[in-house]
Amino acid sequence: MNNRFFSSMALRNIKSNRQLYIPYLLSSTAIITMFFLMVSLLTNKFVQERSASLPMLFMVGVIVIAIFSVIFILYTNSFLIKRRKKEIGLYGILGLEKKHVAKILFFETVITSLLSIAAGLVAGLIFGRLVFMLLNYLLRLPTDIAYSTSLVSVAATFGLFIGIFGITFLYNVSQFTFANPIKLLKGKQEGEKEPKGSLILFILALVFLGWGYWISITIPDPLAALEKFFLAVLFVIIGTYLLFISGSIFILKAMKKNKRIYYRPGAFISISGMLYRMKQNAVGLANICILASMVIIAVSTTATMFIGAEETLENSYPYENNMKVFGDSEDIGAINSRFFELQEQLREETEAAGLEVTEMESYRYQNMYGQLEGQQFIFEQSLIDGSELPVFLQILPLEDFNAMSGNSYSLSDDEALYYHSTGTYQKDELTIGEQNYRLSAIENEFSEEMALTESLVLVVPDISHIKQLKEDYEKQFPDDVYLTVDAEIGWDTTGTEEEKREFAEQMNDEHSWAEDHHYEARLLQREEWYSINGGFLFLGIFLGLLFTIGTVLITYFKQVSEGFDDREKFQIMQKVGLDKDMIQDSTRSQIVWMFLLPIVIATIHVSFAYPIVRKLLLIFGVTNDVTWLLSFIGVVIAFAAIYWMIYRVTSRVYYSIVK
Amino acid sequence: MTLLEIKNLKKVYTARFSNQQTEALSTVNFSVKEGEFVSIMGESGSGKTTLLNIISTLDDATSGDVYLDGNPLSKIKDKEISAFRRNKLGFVFQDFNLLDNFTIKDNILLPLVLSKTPIGEMESRLMPIVRNLGIEAHIDKFPYEVSGGQKQRVAVARALITQPKIILADEPTGALDSKASQNLMETLKGINETGQTILMVTHSTRAASFSNRVLFIRDGAVYHEIYRGEGSADDFMDRITQSLTVLNSRGERDE
Repeated sequence: MNNRFFSSMALRNIKSNRQLYIPYLLSSTAIITMFFLMVSLLTNKFVQERSASLPMLFMVGVIVIAIFSVIFILYTNSFLIKRRKKEIGLYGILGLEKKHVAKILFFETVITSLLSIAAGLVAGLIFGRLVFMLLNYLLRLPTDIAYSTSLVSVAATFGLFIGIFGITFLYNVSQFTFANPIKLLKGKQEGEKEPKGSLILFILALVFLGWGYWISITIPDPLAALEKFFLAVLFVIIGTYLLFISGSIFILKAMKKNKRIYYRPGAFISISGMLYRMKQNAVGLANICILASMVIIAVSTTATMFIGAEETLENSYPYENNMKVFGDSEDIGAINSRFFELQEQLREETEAAGLEVTEMESYRYQNMYGQLEGQQFIFEQSLIDGSELPVFLQILPLEDFNAMSGNSYSLSDDEALYYHSTGTYQKDELTIGEQNYRLSAIENEFSEEMALTESLVLVVPDISHIKQLKEDYEKQFPDDVYLTVDAEIGWDTTGTEEEKREFAEQMNDEHSWAEDHHYEARLLQREEWYSINGGFLFLGIFLGLLFTIGTVLITYFKQVSEGFDDREKFQIMQKVGLDKDMIQDSTRSQIVWMFLLPIVIATIHVSFAYPIVRKLLLIFGVTNDVTWLLSFIGVVIAFAAIYWMIYRVTSRVYYSIVK
Repeated sequence: MTLLEIKNLKKVYTARFSNQQTEALSTVNFSVKEGEFVSIMGESGSGKTTLLNIISTLDDATSGDVYLDGNPLSKIKDKEISAFRRNKLGFVFQDFNLLDNFTIKDNILLPLVLSKTPIGEMESRLMPIVRNLGIEAHIDKFPYEVSGGQKQRVAVARALITQPKIILADEPTGALDSKASQNLMETLKGINETGQTILMVTHSTRAASFSNRVLFIRDGAVYHEIYRGEGSADDFMDRITQSLTVLNSRGERDE
């Protein structure tokens, strides 16, 4: 018998086991595509150039997916080979020697691995290019992110997966070498044995998870985070697999012992089914859980960066065009004429550019720091002085406040309006310097940044009061004579995006660093930010998409393969009186397992990853915790919704198979 | 009292892509009294399995009807059919149809669980049956851990536990060796003697000799029937063999 015979036999086997091999080949291809794309990202220009720590983080990603690939392919293979035990046992009975069977298996492995690796690489090249094109089109970043790959990426993918398929071959051969044909014939029927020492496994799971969590919680600084990130991820992954394997068996067995729970139609069918293939079930759930964690982290961090960036932009540049006018500390009155003069000039320049001013806000102000004590605001010289954080005080003249807020308050000489960011100052009067004001409260008409530290805004009857307060301050701190009254002018214009940009560029040329004022356009600032950081959004969406597709395929594979496995059982049960409603009932009672468990544990993982990821984000200049938390919650909910749909669709597939 | 009545039952299969029709059952008429043990014999392709499938509500008749306790099976709504099968019928199959993911005990309890029977009730029914069938030592094992004969006893226990009107057995000894077959038939006979009605389809004259009456079916119709009467099992077996020989030779002459 020559190799030609064995290879054609192998090919025929694969064809006749189509039902098993198609999902296997599809999911192997998907995982190879995923790995290849991840490796290719390492050669991406943005990843290489944006920050020295990015290639390291992506390397972690590559290794994580490599580990994941090993586990996933071994898991799908063991599932496949179990179902073929009978067929291969038959070869033994028909007189094929073990080395012949090994040869058939060898050719099968060669065919399937070459097929799926080739398909994976091609799919990676096409998918990568298409998605990059699509994302570039959708995001319209100032600079396109180019898809790139290299021969090294191809070689790495090829090498890794040849290695993995090699292991599956050895595993399959060992399965048949150490078993006699009769046992093989029965192999499919036998349930999986509970792994030995599952209590020890459970404790190990908790140790690994605890260790991984501990690394994350106690991480001191971003650099350490970068170093330890991989270790923490690795521990959590190991812990997850162990937890699902030992934990799910514990819970299932406990449920089986409880007769009230177990002896109900839905639970009866689903619990016994899950126990029958307990390890396979657990590994499948752990796979879903790990992918879910990756999606949530990738998407929520990038979302944080971008929502955070938009917030910062909105706060720092409340208008499309923003002009800051610097006062003169020696000639405090000079600002007054300059203020109106500039407003007029800007209006003219805008109209000269063919645009109209739709909204203009301008105000003069003076900033001070101090503490609120009783009814008094006590000046402080600078930020460092007190042990407590100082209260930020901004003083505005009434004229400017009315103009910017569209109100028409009037104040007598000893009256003032105030806004307090924490809302804790409820007194009727305030003494500041040597002045005493009767107060009435107003809403926050000012910047959102007021919320960051305790801030107080005081609107005084006119600009002379500000002058007076400056003098009071200088009396207290004679050395500090640099206090100035400054002004902000912000305005929006009509016009298309293009016209606005042209105007902004023109203004930028003329005014960006003038002697007493400084111009900034939100549009240009945003573009600058995006051209530096746009790649993050891009990669975040790309990875989120990649991992979500991974989740879809794995869930699909799990449902389809288990569907075919369970089909016969459901047919028997229908003969003895199982109706269709009850089949649905039993698939429904898997929701808790298939849907809730992976999502809940992924959420716990990601919550514990929060400290270390936060430190990593600091490297890229993200500091806003609230945004992080909100986008984290948002992404968890959104992903849960997507996963719910995946679950619903795939469980319908399962139902239609077993029905 | 008549428990099961089959009236003018006809079943015609139409091939999916042609008009060619195959008549599996032409006209079948017979009835089974309560407490009877009836065997149906016939060659492969004579329509035995089709007949049993229709009685089991797994298949529909083309015309005619089956009455259980005077109620026509065709009147049962789709929604109730599973419950009907569970509560009124007990099944024993040639290839056992036990589920490998359930222990022996759970396999037996399956129809009761599906009917949402209280746990106490389930357990009180279980023990007498498994003791009777001699499988009480194995109830915590899995099907692949016991022998074929034991598997078929488990299947019998599963059929009995719902206290069905009638047990439908399809070649129950088909996959068993002669000793296990003998054993199983004695068990079925014992069950019948407690008043349980049994309708069995079989090839085996030995298995048929345990019943009270044998119906011979050929080309989709009941051709002949013989009663056991007071004679011994061996005597009855001889008569069955003779009938078969006569039937077969007559059949050949007819053609």
